[in-house]
Amino acid sequence: MREKIERELAPRLIVAASTVTLPARVAATARRAAGRRGRLELYFGFDDPASAYAVIDLARRLEGRSVIFDLRAVARRGIEGDPALERKRAYAITDARRLARRLGLTLLRTEPVDPQATAFLAAWVDGAPRGSALTQFTIAAMMQLWFESTGELTAEPYERIWRRCFGSAPPAAGDPASINAVRAAEKQMSRRGPYETPAAWVAGRWFFAQDRPQQIANWLDQLGWSVER
Amino acid sequence: MSAPTVDYFYSFRSPYSYLSAPRAFALADDFKIDLRFHGVIPMMMRGESVPTAKRLHTLRDVKREADRLGMPFGRIHDPLGEAATRCLAVSEYAVDRRLAREFVLSAGLGIWGEAVDPAADEGLRLIAERAGLDWPGCQAALSDAAIAERVEANTQRLVKIGHWGVPVFVFEGEQFWGQDRIEDLALVLEEAGLQRA
Repeated sequence: MREKIERELAPRLIVAASTVTLPARVAATARRAAGRRGRLELYFGFDDPASAYAVIDLARRLEGRSVIFDLRAVARRGIEGDPALERKRAYAITDARRLARRLGLTLLRTEPVDPQATAFLAAWVDGAPRGSALTQFTIAAMMQLWFESTGELTAEPYERIWRRCFGSAPPAAGDPASINAVRAAEKQMSRRGPYETPAAWVAGRWFFAQDRPQQIANWLDQLGWSVER
Repeated sequence: MSAPTVDYFYSFRSPYSYLSAPRAFALADDFKIDLRFHGVIPMMMRGESVPTAKRLHTLRDVKREADRLGMPFGRIHDPLGEAATRCLAVSEYAVDRRLAREFVLSAGLGIWGEAVDPAADEGLRLIAERAGLDWPGCQAALSDAAIAERVEANTQRLVKIGHWGVPVFVFEGEQFWGQDRIEDLALVLEEAGLQRA
């Protein structure tokens, strides 16, 4: 009996439960009635080229929808003790080259980027107020990092982008509030369920953000957050 | 002149492999390529762990993808262990009989859409016979040491090329991991001068 439960009944139940949409649709309707917008949380890493694709692609797909693009940069993530971690990081470059091509972009980097080298960008983003300035910064920073530069990272070009988007200087390096905000984003990502970036979370469901743009759009449509003409 | 080849690494325990199969075989028809099927031993039978969060998400994600692709999914019988091993053995026999496509599609549907248990003779026989395979031949394959060695060799080959998951396609040394990279493989085939039939 245990065998039957583990191999058949439990998977079937999980799949069946995943098709239940009514509670999320009711909640979305109530949210709209209260004059509030939908929310898409994107958990991403600046050191992850697939995240660069997801940030740019999802920003385009959210245009015209009454949905907040909640950008949450993380540094620590992944499956603990993953034996394939380094192979995955190397393969991510090859894979992101193909994804970039779908957007008409060319990935310039040929080697993985050290997560520590981009930690300051995650701290800036997570410490900043949500909104269009943050979206503009994140897109421009990802463009600079993956599609417009090679070699070692320096903060200077990103500071320029920040000033252009926010009209002020970015947070100081090592700012405790910003670092805490990154840890909070990582915890929230873990609570939501995703173990890898980029991951999009919308009203109780999460998606691989680079691979499931159509699923994400369909889910937003089901929730009533469709493109407004 | 022989047809260009694409190596196709597949696991009967991977629902993403199941999703990939119809489009993989259709690609072979479209481009007149020699799609070489390599059934591999599931990750969890190779000592690699899969976290619960990943297992749960995979089921939910595959359900959504299966719906998008119009494929049955949900009446599952997890084939971890004996069932996967038996499917791998029969798939090698199916390769020899030029019925790999038929068997892979039949087994995938059985495992992920019909809750058929290939660990039982009744289940495996149903899957094999509807693929056009003879049951005595399948039974012989189950205890054929040479076939077991071929399965092990397939798995080692995947490890040797540096990959960890399935499905994986390899064309002229370039790897494509995932059922959602078949369109990228098609682009590369076109760029290599192959034309859709």
